[in-house]
Amino acid sequence: MSNASVLVTGAALTPFNRRKDGTGFRDWSADAFDAALRMANLERSDIEALFVASESDFFHLQLNPASILASELGLVGVAATRCEGGGASGQVAVHAAVRAVQSRTAKHVAVVGVDPSASCLSSDAVRGLYGFSFDTWSDGMTGVTSTALYALSFQAFAQQHKTSDADLARVTQQNRANACHNPGAHLARIDTIEEILQSPEIASPYRRLHCSPLSDGAAALILSHVDYAPKNRANASRIAGLGAASDHMHLGARNDISAFTAKTNAMRRACDEAGIEPDRIGVAEIYDAYAGAQLQGLVALGLTKNVGADLDKGVFAPSGRCPINLSGGLMGQGSPVGATGVGQTASCALILEGQYHTNLQLQNPPQFALADTHGGICTTAAVTILERGSKAA
Amino acid sequence: MIAHHLSLEYKLNMGWLTRYVDGLLKGEAIARSCTDCAKVSFPPIRVCECGGCDGVWKTLAGTAKINLRTTGQDGNFALACFDGANTQTVLRLVNLKGTATRGRLLKSRDGSPTLCLGPEEKDA
Repeated sequence: MSNASVLVTGAALTPFNRRKDGTGFRDWSADAFDAALRMANLERSDIEALFVASESDFFHLQLNPASILASELGLVGVAATRCEGGGASGQVAVHAAVRAVQSRTAKHVAVVGVDPSASCLSSDAVRGLYGFSFDTWSDGMTGVTSTALYALSFQAFAQQHKTSDADLARVTQQNRANACHNPGAHLARIDTIEEILQSPEIASPYRRLHCSPLSDGAAALILSHVDYAPKNRANASRIAGLGAASDHMHLGARNDISAFTAKTNAMRRACDEAGIEPDRIGVAEIYDAYAGAQLQGLVALGLTKNVGADLDKGVFAPSGRCPINLSGGLMGQGSPVGATGVGQTASCALILEGQYHTNLQLQNPPQFALADTHGGICTTAAVTILERGSKAA
Repeated sequence: MIAHHLSLEYKLNMGWLTRYVDGLLKGEAIARSCTDCAKVSFPPIRVCECGGCDGVWKTLAGTAKINLRTTGQDGNFALACFDGANTQTVLRLVNLKGTATRGRLLKSRDGSPTLCLGPEEKDA
């Protein structure tokens, strides 16, 4: 199935942070949707389906959030679907929406990702709930945390790929430095090596500054069939390929606990659909729930054959061959879970169009960008490859 | 801002995992052995990677080798392989020395089927 028929006609994100202004998830969703709709140069009545990404009802205490948001966004009457895949929820929603347009079920669809991951529950409560996003009857009941599971997987990866604490620090510094140029970022800060190494050890080798924060926020996309796109949006970036895959939920059941195998399989499927190899990707938003997860992701996605050496050479820096997480990633921009994958896709689309934040915009946008998301410890992987429109900046 | 308290008390049915969970509550490692290829999974896997769907329950010795461990504010956890099993498992380490490479499954204490590894008898 060809993906070239789907254009990203609208893309917008709210700031990701811990909201203290009295606003809630309905407000953020409306802000992101309205901005994306304006960019798409469409009316509400043009939207025929709504796909909502939200990881957990525990966050917003609202079952069936897709129906609520259809009403809040002035879309009553459209097909409204809630999509969930843990941390991959946003990308799962993007995929469902793309398929709806490809199949001509709808000419224009909206994707809204949102979660109040920071402000509604205590950190301890969220940490406890996240334990049950792994296999409840094995990992979950031990009280193991997400950080501890990722730490065990990364230890195996580090042994295999000879990465060091210095590599973790480099990822941490780069992502947060990028976030300093993103006005919507949660953790825009310069972390020194000393600050990283002196931050509390959460689960060795991960220290607090190696971890992404929990954030509030929303992101939205408008996807349009190329045959119906507004004339001034005909050169918007396109969806080139989608790929998704899964792995054992239970980490110990995997043959290689160091590898994000589901991500590798998802990327292969997306590349097959786009008709490219991974080396054609020129910019990527990678799921960096932890600094080491970014390194594991780069290897799994086929974006490097020697991750340590490529880090040294600056391949993934803003001026490098394949800049990673210009937004700051989850570690810098933040992670309102449902909004994460939608926001990654939005950022990639804006970069390809030359419409991203001034100090982060690539002067010569590449032809292909990658948005990479996963849920669990890469239990559910979903990636999207975007292609620059022919007349984009 | 509205403060809203929600208290939930779940009654979870364990289904086909009942033998495994009951074992943990007794301090026994009950694994699943695939009828087709004899691969032993602990925790048990319903459909073996060979494709076999039939299995028999097998009681392991309850001792395990620690392959990786992580420590910090979140607690002490490890990836370990129980003797007689072909798969690994994540578990909590309890009263184990930092240098310990082996341990024994502990009986769950609070009624929850927790996978906890404590010292082997000779280390206790």
